Amino acid sequence: MFTQLWDLLVAFARASNLGFGGGPAVIPLIKIEVVERYHWLTNAEFTDALAVGNALPGPIATKLAGYVGYQEAGWLGALVANIGVILPTVLAVILLAGFLMKYSNSPVLKGMLKGVRPVVVVLIAQTAFDMGRGSFPNLTTWGIALATVASLYWLKLHPALIIVISMAFGLLVFR
Amino acid sequence: MFKKLWNLFIAFTRASNLGFGGGPALIPLVKAEAVDRYQWMDNEEFADSLAICNALPGPIATKMAAYIGYKIAGWLGAFIAIVGTVAPTVIVVVLLGSLIAKYSNSPELKAMLQAVRPVVVVLVAETAYDMGKKSFPTGSSWGIAVATVALLYLANIHPAFIIVASMLFGWVVYGRNKK
Repeated sequence: MFTQLWDLLVAFARASNLGFGGGPAVIPLIKIEVVERYHWLTNAEFTDALAVGNALPGPIATKLAGYVGYQEAGWLGALVANIGVILPTVLAVILLAGFLMKYSNSPVLKGMLKGVRPVVVVLIAQTAFDMGRGSFPNLTTWGIALATVASLYWLKLHPALIIVISMAFGLLVFR
Repeated sequence: MFKKLWNLFIAFTRASNLGFGGGPALIPLVKAEAVDRYQWMDNEEFADSLAICNALPGPIATKMAAYIGYKIAGWLGAFIAIVGTVAPTVIVVVLLGSLIAKYSNSPELKAMLQAVRPVVVVLVAETAYDMGKKSFPTGSSWGIAVATVALLYLANIHPAFIIVASMLFGWVVYGRNKK
């Protein structure tokens, strides 16, 4: 039991700490651990787990950790796998955040942040572009995109509301 | 203090439970909560938090929750924000995993996900646009942006490396000027 929990912790910590680009970038690394190294799931079972994860909202890496951890070692397994995914990178972020707040008036730090902001803008735009490929299979999906822009800028609707409305629309129209 | 923690919990739970497409799809929703609704930070500070989170490995949503939670209410704030982000969907996955597996190929779910995807794309693009408005005060910031695109697409340089390089560039070029 203890070995199992330790393996879960190590597997998910390793996958998380080697994946750059958010949860979706971590998925292939989780697959290597779960399917190839520890044989907790078969390839088909992993595909199922991923489908379940994608059917639900929220970050994907933590849902996979919860699913696999629970199958292997119950609730404790789900908790330990999630700690592996979350804790190391979160500690690093908080240390950097503390540093940032402490020196927020230093001209050097201000300069560094000024230099990095355009990079972040490009990276987020790139995320949108990557997500966009495959998201527009027909004209109706372009209509949804236009309606989203209109509701954001003219109607000033909260993004959450637009998401709920679009899902109801999809249920009526795309089924 | 309790009110702050409660707000953090609610904000991150709401963002997490409406974001389809993994952590990056949550970024616009976290921004709607942290910048627009609760005004914990402005657009630029939000961009700074994204820079740090993108420079580190691992899921993006939990790193943002930790950063913003810590800024607002210390270690406890970071913990609460992460619980808000992670716990609801993880509990649902564990409890309903086999049931959802059955429905994950249903036409209803596919229809809903197909309709929500263009919305997520627009929301993420809008976040980039919104942050871009304030991030390009000088010609050299446009140069950084163009260089980033070139490094990403032509040279296949890793984003974490570009983030570090741009910070060093900013240190040398902007860090010594008086504003």
